[in-house]
Amino acid sequence: MAALLRRPRPRALDLIGFGFLGLLGIWLLVNLVKDPQRFFTVLLIGVTTGLVYALVALGYTLVYGILQLINFAHGDVFAFTGLFASTMILTVFDLTEQDSAAVIVLGLLGTLVAVVAFGATLNTVIERVAYHRLLRAPRLALLITAVGMSFIVQNVALAIYDVNFRRVPELIPRSDVFSIGGVHYQWNKLSVVLITIPVLLMLTWLVRSTRQGKGMRATAQDPDAAAMVGIDVNRTISFTFALAGGLAGVGGLLFLLQFNIRYDSGFELGLIAFTAAVLGGIGNLTGAVLGAVVIGLIQAFNEGLTWFTPGSDWTRSIIFGVLIAILVFRPQGILGEQVADRA
Amino acid sequence: MSEGSSTEQPSRARHPRGGTFDFITGPWQRIPERVRGWLPLAIVLAIALLYPYMVSDLKSLSTIGDFFPELDSAVYILVFTMMALGLNIVVGYSGLLDLGYVAFYAAGAYTAGWLASGQFQQVSFHFGSVGIQRDTEGIHVSVWLVLLIAGSFTAIVGILIGLPTLRLRGDYLAIVTLGFGEIIPQVVRNGDSFGGFNVTNGTFGINPIDSPGFGDSLNDAVGLPVNFQQSFDKFRLFYWGILALLLITVFCSWRLRDSRLGRAWIAIREDETAAAAMGVPLMRTKTWAYAIGAFFGGVAGAYYASFKSGAFPSDFYFNISVFLLCMVILGGMGSIWGVLAGGLMLSWLNIQGLAVIGDKFNEASGRNFEIAKYQFGIYGTIIVLMMLFRPTGLIPERRRKRELEEGVHDETFFDVSH
Amino acid sequence: MDDVLVVETLRKEFGGLIAVNDVDFTVPRESIVSLIGPNGAGKTTFFNMLTGMYPATSGRILFEGTDVTHKPPHAITALGVGRTFQNIRLFEQMTALENVLVGMHARLKGGIVTSIVGLPRVRREEREARKRARELLHFSGLRGRDDDLARNLPYGDQRRLEVARALATNPKLLLLDEPTAGMNPQETAAFTGFVGKLRSEEKLTVLLIEHDMRVVMGISDRVTVLDYGEKIAEGSPQEVQTDERVIEAYLGRGAA
Repeated sequence: MAALLRRPRPRALDLIGFGFLGLLGIWLLVNLVKDPQRFFTVLLIGVTTGLVYALVALGYTLVYGILQLINFAHGDVFAFTGLFASTMILTVFDLTEQDSAAVIVLGLLGTLVAVVAFGATLNTVIERVAYHRLLRAPRLALLITAVGMSFIVQNVALAIYDVNFRRVPELIPRSDVFSIGGVHYQWNKLSVVLITIPVLLMLTWLVRSTRQGKGMRATAQDPDAAAMVGIDVNRTISFTFALAGGLAGVGGLLFLLQFNIRYDSGFELGLIAFTAAVLGGIGNLTGAVLGAVVIGLIQAFNEGLTWFTPGSDWTRSIIFGVLIAILVFRPQGILGEQVADRA
Repeated sequence: MSEGSSTEQPSRARHPRGGTFDFITGPWQRIPERVRGWLPLAIVLAIALLYPYMVSDLKSLSTIGDFFPELDSAVYILVFTMMALGLNIVVGYSGLLDLGYVAFYAAGAYTAGWLASGQFQQVSFHFGSVGIQRDTEGIHVSVWLVLLIAGSFTAIVGILIGLPTLRLRGDYLAIVTLGFGEIIPQVVRNGDSFGGFNVTNGTFGINPIDSPGFGDSLNDAVGLPVNFQQSFDKFRLFYWGILALLLITVFCSWRLRDSRLGRAWIAIREDETAAAAMGVPLMRTKTWAYAIGAFFGGVAGAYYASFKSGAFPSDFYFNISVFLLCMVILGGMGSIWGVLAGGLMLSWLNIQGLAVIGDKFNEASGRNFEIAKYQFGIYGTIIVLMMLFRPTGLIPERRRKRELEEGVHDETFFDVSH
Repeated sequence: MDDVLVVETLRKEFGGLIAVNDVDFTVPRESIVSLIGPNGAGKTTFFNMLTGMYPATSGRILFEGTDVTHKPPHAITALGVGRTFQNIRLFEQMTALENVLVGMHARLKGGIVTSIVGLPRVRREEREARKRARELLHFSGLRGRDDDLARNLPYGDQRRLEVARALATNPKLLLLDEPTAGMNPQETAAFTGFVGKLRSEEKLTVLLIEHDMRVVMGISDRVTVLDYGEKIAEGSPQEVQTDERVIEAYLGRGAA
């Protein structure tokens, strides 16, 4: 018996929403006209960062789709994988800018494999140790546990990596791939696209065409029915967590290559990615990617444009504002929710 | 409030052959039932009241002396325990996972900053201020009154936050409250120029902040201190002040629990659909939970700001909300004694315990392990362990009188909420 | 005889699925009406719309002349509609007495400050509320269990508690959703008598969803049959019992 929350939608709310979007459009337009090169450069940055966020957002949406749980710890898992990637790159493979392209590529591929495995394992362990026993418990308990887990993961990362930011040398050059009319796009940004797109395609194939994927979709829609047709629900859940963790791993590596990471980076990044997932429509995989790109753009525009821009101090607040706005105005997100009806 | 006595009666039945503690339980049984209920409370209260006199003696004890908090730490402990009780109304009674309680703490603190300091240099308004000259700039209202105003203002903030949030499902509610808990400190940090107007003094914070007191006339008449900060035994005064506030909070929590509204909250926590079907208006009732929880957070925040004589943005961050949540979980959601215990323990760990334990451990083992650095990992572990193994908390909400008397029951794995 | 409940072309669609299909329905005052039909016929959905838990897609619901179609559940309860649930939804961590007291929420007036302070009028209200709650528990057949936690009660007592709680809302119309599910014949007979008492002594109007035909035939003034969200028959128990469409709905074609 799904208890539907009834919300009468007053007209005023809709007007405010549309009015705000209108103002936003005007702001973008003015910035575009004032400095088009900057605008497009920033736009490309936004899309690129958005793709990294997409990998993490997918993790949130996959888990939420199947368990209706916001895995608070996911952002911290993401940060941890990034730190792990730094260990792989710096200590295990010992890559520096001086190494030849072949060595770098091989090293990064090796790191990629390792970090995916690490992320998948970590996430699965978390699920088995903490969430598994609480799957039949009241929702509140699971949620609270996720919060606790988030801090545990953070502190383990703290214990290993301490408070410092970790960065890796510029393995992928920041030289331009192309530069059209003053709009630059660098190699290190392109590498993100080159890795993310195949990963997303693989994910799509996995979810649409494989048995595991179908099992995931079935369990997401109706766990009891899925169990009745012979799907091992527990394994499917573990698989989903592994998948989410693996994706976070890819995201962690890519993020590390662009920026730097610290044990508590996961908090902000996790919130950004979660907002992206909700924006696109929680439970909806395409939505997660779409939402992430939009959020990436919002962040890039906020930090990169110059006319009447709040600036990076306000990024967090803006993202939260977006989250709150979505949940108030359109909780199903842009593409609509796809979540099981849990009685 | 007879939670303490419930286990005593069956113990005679359970130890027919006579147990080791009969010399305690024997006389204990002879105390009349009515008094027995109040005894634990009275004892605890007496200890709490007399603590300031005992501190120096206690601290001079060898080995364990270091574990006793100084009075200023004690004030911190009681402030945070009071906030935990406030959060208990939201999370414990009503089952609303509020991850942004720190916003209420901040709102209270800054209200004190606005109404009892030199922040607003443009005016000079005094109302019941103690211990400062009448021509000092700024708004200087009596701190006692400020506490009330801070609580009310924070309650309004709670209601405003509640408007968009309370209609959301549990998980979204948590995230959105988390969001507000983040936005408000950020607003406070950047609040030194809202359209050119310095509201919060940005990263520098507002300081000094006035202190509570009783003013000259009461000092002349009955010898009450003019102004806490300026008094010789200022820490004692502040300590008793917060103790009084904490007791008021406990009293209100207790009365509310057994009232019509308290029942409505617990019904919402247990099964909100059924509660609505029984005539409980959901939005209104949840909003009251927020407002009242916020009220106590605001009062605590204002008092603590007055004590520290300052409100700084660096005091307010997300982890505090989780820290408070941990207190409620550890103690027992919805259980007043439980949250008191959880609050006292964790606040003590935070301000002193972890450091002392860490030092002792390092001394003994020769290592150099900074345990305090990992305190949030410890709190996270506590939360997860409690949820897995004892979700009802150390001192569960429901007095298990009937169950204990009727014998062994299969305790269902989850009795917290449904 | 006037109608306590009037439902006009009530419809509920879930996406493409039509759960309740333009149903007209009335419940006369102080009558006992049973709503029956095969599983999945839409009976509980219908109830949920009456109590405001599901928004109707279209149609109107009038309770005592007031349009309650878009009112939230608590408002409908305050107007005088009480209900029990098919799968018992008690407040498990509360005692039987407290469960019943929650039912009185809309009828009591104790506020925040007055409760904290403990004004005499609030204390008196609470005392009287408790007294009435105990009476209701007693009336519903629960003896000496007032301070037991709801989740510790035996199944039959839990069902009685649900009724007591619903009665606490001071209803004019009582909706009972499969109240005798899981009861043995004796309990069922006792319950049937109890429902009769509700009408004769408390002057309540009762609307039941029931599967147990003995109850339906034994106590109903009128029976309405739903199948696939549509009303397929309505009338006295005897009329409905011999109606072809009803037999078909339950037993399939060829059995009529």
